[in-house]
Order: sequence, then structure tokens, then C-alpha cells
Amino acid sequence: MNLSPQDITAILLSMKIAVTATLLSLPFGFATAWLMVFRHFRGKVLLEVLVNLPLTLPPVVIGYFLLLFFGRNGWGGAMLKAAGIEFIFTWKAAVVASATVGFPLLVRSIRLGMESIDRQLPQASRSLGATWYDTLFTVVLPLSLRGMIAGSSLMFARSLGEFGATIIVAGNIPGVTQTIPLAIYDYASSPTGTSMALSLCGVSVALSVIILLLHEVIGKQLETRREA
Amino acid sequence: MKTMQFRMPRIIAALLALMLTAVPAMAGQVSISAAASLKEAINEMADKFTAAHAGTTIVKNFGASGALAGQIENGAPSDIFISASTEWIDYLLNKKMLDAKSRKNFAYNALVFAGATTKKVSGMSDLTKLNRIAIGSPKSVPAGEYAMESMKNSGLDKKLAAKLVMAKDVRECLTYAEMGEVDGSFVYRTDAMQAKKAKIRFVVPEKLHARVVYPMALTVSGAGNADAKAFFAWIQGGEAKSILKKYGFILK
Repeated sequence: MNLSPQDITAILLSMKIAVTATLLSLPFGFATAWLMVFRHFRGKVLLEVLVNLPLTLPPVVIGYFLLLFFGRNGWGGAMLKAAGIEFIFTWKAAVVASATVGFPLLVRSIRLGMESIDRQLPQASRSLGATWYDTLFTVVLPLSLRGMIAGSSLMFARSLGEFGATIIVAGNIPGVTQTIPLAIYDYASSPTGTSMALSLCGVSVALSVIILLLHEVIGKQLETRREA
Repeated sequence: MKTMQFRMPRIIAALLALMLTAVPAMAGQVSISAAASLKEAINEMADKFTAAHAGTTIVKNFGASGALAGQIENGAPSDIFISASTEWIDYLLNKKMLDAKSRKNFAYNALVFAGATTKKVSGMSDLTKLNRIAIGSPKSVPAGEYAMESMKNSGLDKKLAAKLVMAKDVRECLTYAEMGEVDGSFVYRTDAMQAKKAKIRFVVPEKLHARVVYPMALTVSGAGNADAKAFFAWIQGGEAKSILKKYGFILK
């Protein structure tokens, strides 16, 4: 293991960005999944396509669109400039890039969880006089927990590995936006950086394995608790 | 269906054979790996050479010299290598991948700071006023290494460390400066001459860094390629030198 202080910074930064992106996306992901499962409206197919789009678009394309929108000459960029907020080439841009590419994964998992909810339960809740938001938070939310945890861990893992969109909109700035994949890319571009690159790759694999194990364990625990 | 049972394996075998057939190298093909800053000059030279030598095709690969050296080390086909610093030529020479006798200096260049920022920048010390500065990643981009060297020798490397955006080659640096997303970048004077929005703010004093030189050599495979040797000789000639001069390279 050959990790420099810069590498440790990259690892901590990756975690920070992945956690922030996941937490930020959870409420939106939950709301979107709920809309897609429990609500019917015209143009629903369009929403489904839009939500799934980042899954099929090359991440570089997503990053480029984000850059065009939030950059100096974009709408979003103009608004941010007026508010005095620096966005491009900061860790906030990295969070938005990760959130965008991971969002479809989050929604997919929550959706799957919600679709398996027995429809009679929220119906019963409503027929007993609960408001729609009461039903949402006391019936639907607890029953969607497994889907939310599955989605969050998938999204977290995806954010840790996000490269294309991040490098375009957040740049490769050591200590500020250089996450694990960007650091590996830096080392891999140089023929003398092989052992450093391999060490970081090892860390990347270890993190992914831990997340996936946690995902399975927590998922099983929730399952047994529900059956009890 | 019975007929499909016999046809499927044959179809698959045919597809595999097609995929595995190596594309034969065309007669008279020269592969050149050159530093990103040489793009326009080499493109023009290649066009002129192939116009005069029908039957020769020149395949060009531009990128950061360190990345190119890594590619060649790992077996990427290349007959001629032009690096933007001595480091990567020496690296491949040590690995015995280049023809040592063919080593020559192709051209020289100057390192400048160019940007579209409205702040007043006239020297190295003014850089501390800026927010973001793009440099080629020093691990593989010579322009970045020269820039780091200049910052270290000015005593500014610690102050500027958090402002640096790493680019994969000097052209990406220029793009960052052009887009305005960084206040400015360290590029070569020849790159800045191509820029539209980014202006040269100052030339980095030569005493702060090793001289920017483009050493070149034939690879071991290139030394056995007659067309490669012909092109290699041509790019040292008068016509090539006037192309270099046109793009702002220094010849001595």
C-alpha cells in the first residue's frame, strides 16, 4: 500500500461528496418514486424517460450539459453569479455531478420497494380518515425503507466511482475536487505512477465491497424484522 | 429448428474470424506520437509530406508527453516520438525503446501565463491574487512540470497549491483559460497564439525553469521503417523549419 497524504485527502473527499450527494437526493428520489408509483397523470412516460436518461447518457455528456448550464454563459451560472455563489470547479459541482448520475439508480430501487407495498394498506389508512401526507409519512415511508436503503447504497457506490461528469464540471483540483477516480486517472496517465494507482484502486475495491456487504446485511435484517 | 442448429455455430465462427483478423498495417504507414502543443505544426508537416510522397500515410497521436511515453512503453505502435521535455525521451531511452543514435532537438518554446481574467496580472507574484489557475498535471505533462518548477523557484508553490486545476495536457489548459472557468493557465507561447479570448499576460522568466525543448527520436520499430526514417529526416529540413517558425516555435 503506497498512499500519499494527497491520496488520503482524495479518499476523504470522495466520501464527503458521495454522502452529500446521496443525502441531498433522497427526498427528491422518494418524491419522484412516489409520483411514478402512486400517481397517474398525462405525460408520466416523459417523466420516466427523463429520470432514466442519466443512466444511458455517457457521463461526459451529462458533465458537459451541467457545465453549459452552470458555467459562466449559462442560465444557472448567471443566477449563481448574481447570488455570489461559486460553483464550477468546486466540490459543490462534484456533488451535483454525482447526484445527477446516481439519481436514476436511487429512484429505481425506491420504486421497486414501493411497488411491492400491499395497496390495501395505504387505502385502508385513507379510508380511516388519514390525510394523504399522513398516509405518506406513516404508511408508505416506513414500508419503502428497504428500497431507500438499497437505492442509497447503490447511489453512494456510484458516486464514489463517478468520473466523466465530475472531471468536466468540477475539474481535477487536488484537495478540492480530486476524488479517488480522478486521482487514479492522474497516476495512470503517468508511466511512473503504477504503484500509486494500484494502491488507490485497491482502496476503491475495498470501499465498494464494504458498501455492497452492508447493503446485503441491512437488507436481510429489514426483511427478517418485517417477517417477525 | 434443425437447420438453425447447424447454421448458428457457423455464423458465430465466421463473426469471430472477422473480429480476430488483425487489420494489416498499410504499406507506407508512419505512426508519430507527438506532444499536444505540436498539433497544428505536425498536421501541416504531415499534409505537405504526404502530398509529395503518395503512398505514405501518417497516423498522428497527440497528447501529454508522459502519457505518450506510457503508451509506447506498453506497446502502442509508434515510429517517431516527439516529447516536450527531456524527461520522457530519457525515460524511453532507459527502457531501450528508442533508437538512441537518432535523438535530435526538434524545436524550442517559451512558457507563458495566459488568461481571460479582468484582474491585473503582470508577473509571477500577481498569481496569488487569482482564484483558479490551470496547469498540466505535472505527473505527465511537461508544461505542468515547467510551471511547477517556476512556481517552486519563485517560492510561490505552497501559496498557489490550492488554486491549481490539473489538466490532462497543455491544450486542455488552454481550453480552461478560453472558457473563462479559470483565471488563467500556464501554456506555451505557441498555444497562446492560437487562443481567441485568453491573452498572454506575461512570459515566465526563463531562469525559473529548464529550457522548453522538444527532443525527438525514432523508436526501435521506427528505425526499421524506411518511410518513418524519410519523414523523420524531412521534419528536420528547411520546409519543416519554416512551418515551425510560422507557428511561433523557436528554432535554436
